[in-house]
Amino acid sequence: MDVDIPEIPSRYDAYRQGLREFIVGNLPELAFKQRSGLRAPEDPEDVVKLRRWVRGLHDAGYGANRDDPFEARISIEELERTRIPYVLGNPLVAGAIVRFGTEQQRAAYLPAIASGEHIWTQLFSEPDAGSDLTSLRTRAVLDGGHYVVSGQKVWSTWAQFSDFGYLLARIGSGAGRDGITAFILDMKSEGVTTRPLREITGTTDFNEVFLDSVRIPVENMIGEPGAGWSVAQASLAHERGTLPGDKEQDPAGALVRAARHRRRGGRAAIEDGAVRQQIGRVAARSLMERYLGYRVQTRAANNQTAAWDAPLVKIWFSELNLEVADYALRLLGGRGALVEDEPLAHEDGRWQDTFLYARSWTIAGGSNEILRNVIGERALDLPREPRGDR
Amino acid sequence: MDFAYNDDQELLRGVTRRFLEERHPMALTRTRLEAESTFDRGVWRDGAELGWTALVVPEQYGGGSVTDQPVVDLAAVAEEAGRALFPGPLLSTNVVADAVAAYGDEQQRQQFLGAIARGDCVATWCTTADGSAEADAIGVEAVPAPSGLKLDGVARFAHDAHEADLLLVSCQAPSGPTLVLMPLPAPGVSFRVLGGLDLTRRLCEVSFESVEAAGHQILGAVGAAGPAIDRAYRLATVLQSAEAVGAAERVFEITVQYAKDRRQFGRAIGSFQAIKHRLADLLIELEGARAASWYAALAVADDRFDRDEAVAVAGAAVRDAFAFIAGESVQIHGGIGFTWEHDAHLFMRRAKVEQLLFGDPDWHRERLCRLAEAKAPV
Ligand SMILES: Cc1cc2nc3c(=O)[nH]c(=O)nc-3n(C[C@H](O)[C@H](O)[C@H](O)COP(=O)(O)OP(=O)(O)OC[C@H]3O[C@@H](n4cnc5c(N)ncnc54)[C@H](O)[C@@H]3O)c2cc1C
Repeated sequence: MDVDIPEIPSRYDAYRQGLREFIVGNLPELAFKQRSGLRAPEDPEDVVKLRRWVRGLHDAGYGANRDDPFEARISIEELERTRIPYVLGNPLVAGAIVRFGTEQQRAAYLPAIASGEHIWTQLFSEPDAGSDLTSLRTRAVLDGGHYVVSGQKVWSTWAQFSDFGYLLARIGSGAGRDGITAFILDMKSEGVTTRPLREITGTTDFNEVFLDSVRIPVENMIGEPGAGWSVAQASLAHERGTLPGDKEQDPAGALVRAARHRRRGGRAAIEDGAVRQQIGRVAARSLMERYLGYRVQTRAANNQTAAWDAPLVKIWFSELNLEVADYALRLLGGRGALVEDEPLAHEDGRWQDTFLYARSWTIAGGSNEILRNVIGERALDLPREPRGDR
Repeated sequence: MDFAYNDDQELLRGVTRRFLEERHPMALTRTRLEAESTFDRGVWRDGAELGWTALVVPEQYGGGSVTDQPVVDLAAVAEEAGRALFPGPLLSTNVVADAVAAYGDEQQRQQFLGAIARGDCVATWCTTADGSAEADAIGVEAVPAPSGLKLDGVARFAHDAHEADLLLVSCQAPSGPTLVLMPLPAPGVSFRVLGGLDLTRRLCEVSFESVEAAGHQILGAVGAAGPAIDRAYRLATVLQSAEAVGAAERVFEITVQYAKDRRQFGRAIGSFQAIKHRLADLLIELEGARAASWYAALAVADDRFDRDEAVAVAGAAVRDAFAFIAGESVQIHGGIGFTWEHDAHLFMRRAKVEQLLFGDPDWHRERLCRLAEAKAPV
């Protein structure tokens, strides 16, 4: 039994050094603050700078998706430290194209995703199809060499700045999974209207997307007609397995710092037994998240991934993340009520933003209730939920 | 990265599971729920032949491990013992063996280790008067005497002490904590089986009245046993966690099966989300606990840099998870789960008692807070 990862050989020192120099010379200065989660800038000028930055990284040979595993590790380590995004939009479509795409699609899109030249958004959810994605109603009708697509999508992260959309629409008159088909949508097509939505955080990261008789060439279909559900499942499974890189590395330590500053009953809160117990609990659960990661990685490496691996890790992470943010605000007392740009706010209000954004992780990518269904039905083999409509 | 038992450890686990299913099934445990003793020397000896008490004993004293991580080997066995709610002092005997192997002199090793490894010597550890891991809760005082030390006082919650051949006694000497090896029977040492919540396992009160301990019975130096006691608690927490994971896994399996079989309102109860989601939560806690338990075993086996933190995580979380799973199991079984005949309460009782011994989860959370403070610069 071991949890060792191979040490990075010293011959990679030059790679790391080069990357560091690249970062010093090229790190963009942005108007927007990098916060937790998959966030989008407000200012289009920032997007231009970010595209240049990601493209530059890739062209200089330092992108986060290097084939060489040591180079990829170094890149991620160094780029995480910058707190500037190095992946723009939602590139999950790449997995779908690798697995189900045609030769032409792979050539046309994969390199551009890798280089950051193309920004993508995921167009799955609809106003009436969220958890129950199979009830989606956006239609695609074949007309010669094109599908004509109409409908509405919602919660589409980064759509306002995206070049392409990974779209699910229905062909034919079936219901449920029948007819659901995956498409590549050029967001500049006629009939696509994107309307940004403001979130509980006050920022604008997702959008509504209206599709009004949009013509999509047949060759932009991913996989077979009607195979969209399997295509989507493959990429969603991947989404649930990927954890955000910018999470708090040492939440117990962060709570210790907050508890030293707060006074309670005539002494520092860190001396309060109830506070110490909660910090101990957070320490335990954040370390267990790491140990669970070792198990999941080991099983993946041996082709033994269990049906519950990805949902369990996502539930664990998202609920701990929420608990930590919630507790941090409570520990901060009155200062917990203050947000960024308020001079008295603790660490420029980052905990308040984390607290608000924490709900995205418990809802998006399969809500935690849906994931508990997945664990119950696919991992424990319990009987499925009855449907109310069919 | 290979965070799993290896093939040899899996083999040991499988052999142990089959052995226990055959030789110590729940039906046998049940015949002894209200008996003075739940300990079965025949099963113990045969278990010893499978290696249960030899893994942490060095080869030259008659022991031997399966891999070069004996503590992980032993954790694999302990998981299976927990799964069967095996009553015997597997944990205590191994803690004593490890203490003798690490701190004993040549003569002590010769005297005890081979016998422990063979299963001829059942050993247990007398910790404190209240079952906690607090240093000032040691209830046996040792004062210098012409022969060595004279012990007076009481230790409680010692596994199967009334069946033991050897005690390791934590004592408080004027110069500091001291460990004494006490072969039994010994004049002045008496036992009382405590009326206990866990029906599958006997915990004892051990009284010491002017008990003479010769110099050669002292493990290490008088007053200097602090590190040896810390080491014993680490191993105890690793094995206690492993037993808890095994037991939690078993009661979880029983519960999932029941949720599929039991029907109400024309459906299996496992189709109701209140039950389905509860079961998902139990699996989440079970897997978190397993990861913590394995990591603690690994960290102790390899003396990793984060060893103390890993042990504290297991101590803080694993038994709480077991208690949660066992308690919810009773709930999900409904009325049948409330009966004496159903096994669910045996798991619930074991879980509650384990939460209270060798440093409770709150105690470990306090340690984690202290470690977090030490890492966060002021
Ligand atoms: C920050 C954020 C970013 C997102 N980005 C994208 C994106 O880029 N592209 C995209 O396509 N989508 C995106 N989503 C949408 C996300 O996938 C959906 O919000 C999610 O699947 C839930 O769907 P819903 O919002 O319609 O809620 P609903 O499905 O209406 O759920 C409402 C509540 O009911 C519960 N519920 C629903 N069904 C069940 C059931 N069977 N059993 C028990 N409880 C149930 C849910 O858990 C939830 O608590 C994003 C969402 C968020 C919050």
